[in-house]
Amino acid sequence: MRIDLQDVTVRFGPVTAVDNVSLGIEPGEIHALLGENGAGKSTLMNALFGLVTPASGTIRLDGKARRWASPQDAIAHGLGMVHQHFMLQEEMTVLENIVLCAEPVGRFGFVDFARARSRLDEIAKTHGVAIDLDRRVGRLSVGERQAVEILKVLYREAEVLILDEPTAVLTPQEKDRLFATLKSFREAGKAIVLITHKLDEVMEIADRVSVMRAGRLVASSPLAETSKDEIARGIVGGDLPAARTRKALSPGETVLAVDHLTVARRGRDVGPVSFDLRAGEIVGIAGVSGNGQAELIRALTGLEPVRSGSITLCGNEIQKLDVEARRQGGMSYIPEDRQRMGLALRASVSENANAGRDDAGAFTAGPFLKHGAMAQYARSLIERYRIRVAGPRASASTMSGGNKQKLVVGRELSRNTPLVIAENPTWGVDIGAIDFIHGELMRMRDAGHAILLVSTELDEVIALSDRILVMYDGAIAGEVDGGEASRDRVGALMTSRAADALGAASPGAAA
Amino acid sequence: MFELIADPSFAASIPRFVTPILLAALGGALCERAGVFNIALEGFLLVGAFAAVLGAYFSGTPYIGALTAMVAGMALGLVFAEFNVRRGGDSIVVSIAINLLAAGLTTFFLRAIFDVTGAFSDPAIAGFAPIRLPFIEYVPLLGPILSGQALPFYLALLSVPFLHVFLARHRLGLRIRAAGENPQALRAGGVSPKRVQLLALIACGALCGLGGAQLSIANVNLFVENMSAGRGWIAVVAVLLTRGRPWPLFFIALLFGAVDSLSFRVQGLGLAQQFTDMMPYLATLIVLVALSWWRARRARGDAS
Repeated sequence: MRIDLQDVTVRFGPVTAVDNVSLGIEPGEIHALLGENGAGKSTLMNALFGLVTPASGTIRLDGKARRWASPQDAIAHGLGMVHQHFMLQEEMTVLENIVLCAEPVGRFGFVDFARARSRLDEIAKTHGVAIDLDRRVGRLSVGERQAVEILKVLYREAEVLILDEPTAVLTPQEKDRLFATLKSFREAGKAIVLITHKLDEVMEIADRVSVMRAGRLVASSPLAETSKDEIARGIVGGDLPAARTRKALSPGETVLAVDHLTVARRGRDVGPVSFDLRAGEIVGIAGVSGNGQAELIRALTGLEPVRSGSITLCGNEIQKLDVEARRQGGMSYIPEDRQRMGLALRASVSENANAGRDDAGAFTAGPFLKHGAMAQYARSLIERYRIRVAGPRASASTMSGGNKQKLVVGRELSRNTPLVIAENPTWGVDIGAIDFIHGELMRMRDAGHAILLVSTELDEVIALSDRILVMYDGAIAGEVDGGEASRDRVGALMTSRAADALGAASPGAAA
Repeated sequence: MFELIADPSFAASIPRFVTPILLAALGGALCERAGVFNIALEGFLLVGAFAAVLGAYFSGTPYIGALTAMVAGMALGLVFAEFNVRRGGDSIVVSIAINLLAAGLTTFFLRAIFDVTGAFSDPAIAGFAPIRLPFIEYVPLLGPILSGQALPFYLALLSVPFLHVFLARHRLGLRIRAAGENPQALRAGGVSPKRVQLLALIACGALCGLGGAQLSIANVNLFVENMSAGRGWIAVVAVLLTRGRPWPLFFIALLFGAVDSLSFRVQGLGLAQQFTDMMPYLATLIVLVALSWWRARRARGDAS
């Protein structure tokens, strides 16, 4: 099926999210849709899928103009969408999730699960997407959940598949499996739209590339007729900044000292972990997610009690202090989950920008907050961090993912604390924002702050860190000097092939 | 006291007390699973009880009475849905309003229609006759409990396995569960969670209406102001304890109904009525504490 979007415009109040975009999607083609956060990619696809109603413009399927009253219309006409945030029922089984809203019914409206099962067996054979249908979705890994989402779309016999940042949460192996599946769809003549931030993936799999910026379509051409540089320039609207030059390391005093720290965890405790972090250096913690990084961070920030060992921040032991006391003691924290931990989505941008500052004299008058001063401060953050939002009074939920992250990063870094803990700070953020956040972290380092960077993105850790600690199975498997780090060497430690990585040295000896 | 419990007429009286609690709780369970926090079951029961008397008095048959009660309950479900689901009013506020409305409205109509205050009793109110089950009535112990009860009891009993299968395997059951767990995902699939919640509320109204009919035209043949007497609240507790699963709900309702029945009978022992009235709530409290203690212990066991 061929789709033509013609002069589509979508407005949210005064904001024009998609501005007069025309785009063709061909069957048997993988069409990559790129752009910065807030460029309008997801909104355009939501319009195609019937989740938002365009203010003007037409959607044509095989030449026929269509208007959707609801996503059900779009689904009935062969469109399927895998959302960035999965739309699954965790309490239900895989089978129940797949049939939900498209149930094959027998007598009296009871669901014919046997029929669904045999259909899914067929699909598993043709496309190689197989998963135990009776497992509860709440117990599945992220990659398996995505497979459920894809099965949902296939089960509805979709001819057009829209995937919104499908690889953001996948391990490299899961990504390879997904791409194999997508190629099989292409063979089958389906049209695939891939919304993504990752240029390497686009170069690997796409047939056609379209780039959006600020709601407009700025480029659309076959992959063969463009280049990685050209696409990148299209996304940011100009040349990419030159590679950053790093100042020589001049570490100062020890800011953070972690000594034989252990944290309780289901199964096996995390730790003992020991390391030091000095002023003016970035220490990266690499590792496949789930190897104890999350527990370590929660223990450092005070979100989880410590089982044993000590944490010393600027000379004071803090392992018994609560979160607030630790933050007062000189710690800032950029959490991985901006939606739940980083921001209060229903509060305004201004309130979020000032969260944790209700004790600062400039923003309070006795027990009352000074809204004017808060808004002014928020405005300065919006300007400095180039956050795209209607204004300080807008609800935080109106920002796109990358802009939310910029707000969190801005709020935390502008506290100017000796220690900054950054947890996957560029997760799901576009390249322009990644570059900006990386630059800010480097600037903080050069200004003499100590930065603990915990990331599952290996390239990010290698690019920024002065030293890299690799976590495996709840402990530090080894330490690599930033200058000598390579993907292979760190990667080997991440999968615990410590001997390969360190030669004769025993794991942890360097720590 | 033991003589009281061993008395076969005590056992035979349990279903009368279980039925209204069970039916209201099953209705509440549908709301709970659909993501509607309905704590207006007390009001639903009371309106059902009044409407049953109304229907039975004017038609002369208990079936029309029960039907009237169910329709009245469904209408109240629509009112709940209008303010909570459609207009987005807070569910606790809407529940409280409906509970107060039910008390006021039944008192008002009691005077407006029957021209009495406090209670209305008349030989023309047609009550349910006991249904004797052949063969089963001779089974020792269970016979007198299962046989000789009124129609709503049997319908309540059948509703338990039916709702269990309905929630597990019916299209609407699946969607009700989805509306309660992740309505966003249901919407993305093209089904309006609000519509599903509306249907759950209407079904809840019908079940509660039938429960009310048990109170006023099966247990007795009269309507007394506020005759639901807290049974709707006990049903709310049962729903929350079991997270709306029909089978556990059945057993909790059984327990609460038995204590309710017992409290009624121990009044004959010369205990203060204020104390006996307290018994069902005391039992509720004990079950609440015991269950949360057990859950906490199990959670700790998992973690180690």
